[in-house]
Amino acid sequence: MNDDVFDEDGWDDEEFDAGLLEEELRQAAAVLDPVPAELQQLAVDAYALHDLDARVAELTFDSLVDALPVRGAGDVPRMLTFRAGEMTVDVEVTGHGLMGQVLPPQPARIEVLWGPRPGSSLTADDLGRFTADAPPPGPFALRLRTGGDVVVTEWMRA
Amino acid sequence: MEGLSPLVWSVVRAHRLSDADAHEVYQTAWFRFAQHLGRIREPGKAGAWLASTARHECLKVIRSSQRLTLTDDPQLLDRVSEDGTPEQSLLDSEEAAAQSERVRRLWQEFEELGERCRQLLRVLMATPPPSYQDVSAALGIAVGSIGPLRQRCLRRLRARLEARGAM
Repeated sequence: MNDDVFDEDGWDDEEFDAGLLEEELRQAAAVLDPVPAELQQLAVDAYALHDLDARVAELTFDSLVDALPVRGAGDVPRMLTFRAGEMTVDVEVTGHGLMGQVLPPQPARIEVLWGPRPGSSLTADDLGRFTADAPPPGPFALRLRTGGDVVVTEWMRA
Repeated sequence: MEGLSPLVWSVVRAHRLSDADAHEVYQTAWFRFAQHLGRIREPGKAGAWLASTARHECLKVIRSSQRLTLTDDPQLLDRVSEDGTPEQSLLDSEEAAAQSERVRRLWQEFEELGERCRQLLRVLMATPPPSYQDVSAALGIAVGSIGPLRQRCLRRLRARLEARGAM
């Protein structure tokens, strides 16, 4: 397959209606590869996730991007770090579940969200440590309550 | 904003993810978008924001698993002739059948373009047509290079169709 589009391909610069061909492609895509109906709906439902009360803890470290791969290591846990102001949330995702810690260490009530539905609840102990026995089935976020503060981690695909 | 769904889907499809990964990346992009709504002040930038988020998640999927599965052309093409699909109604008259055959050929030639052209055109064919800013965010290429690339890729596609006698 010749992938070098900068190559001179022997065509003269005769104008043709590129817009027309693009429009045909657009119609073909609408028939052969449309947005699946459930995903179309999801874009609407996602608004329920807009949370005015919570601060967003942004992803500041992702082992997938920021760490060198370990040669030969098979099932390496995904390490994520989120940060909102002074608070840091470290999360490790494996095939078996989630493990994490809130820093500075403090107890927290944590909800694991996996879409615009109520999630499952966890508790972080006095040292801020928490675990979940099952890995998130898809994209997830953690909603943490500590004292009067509510923080939600950025949505991630585990 | 949900009018931007086809753009996000196009970005995901342009990266040739498996169906399962494509669905998850699409979801992640929209969930994160909802989360950051308060900070995306210019509605005109929403498309580029979503496209860029989807692109980065696609790259993570590709990096994490290498289980980059090629979308199966025959499978997609089969949909045109499958019974009971909405596309079946296209076949209800002979004229429609000819049209459907043309669409099938067009899609086949598109799928067989070089990876760069295939990616660019898959994003450009979103509905409504994305701005060059959105395309730039979706593919990580400079706005200024999109026009010439687009022209060249479409010309190349037309050449393929002509060679097959399909135009």
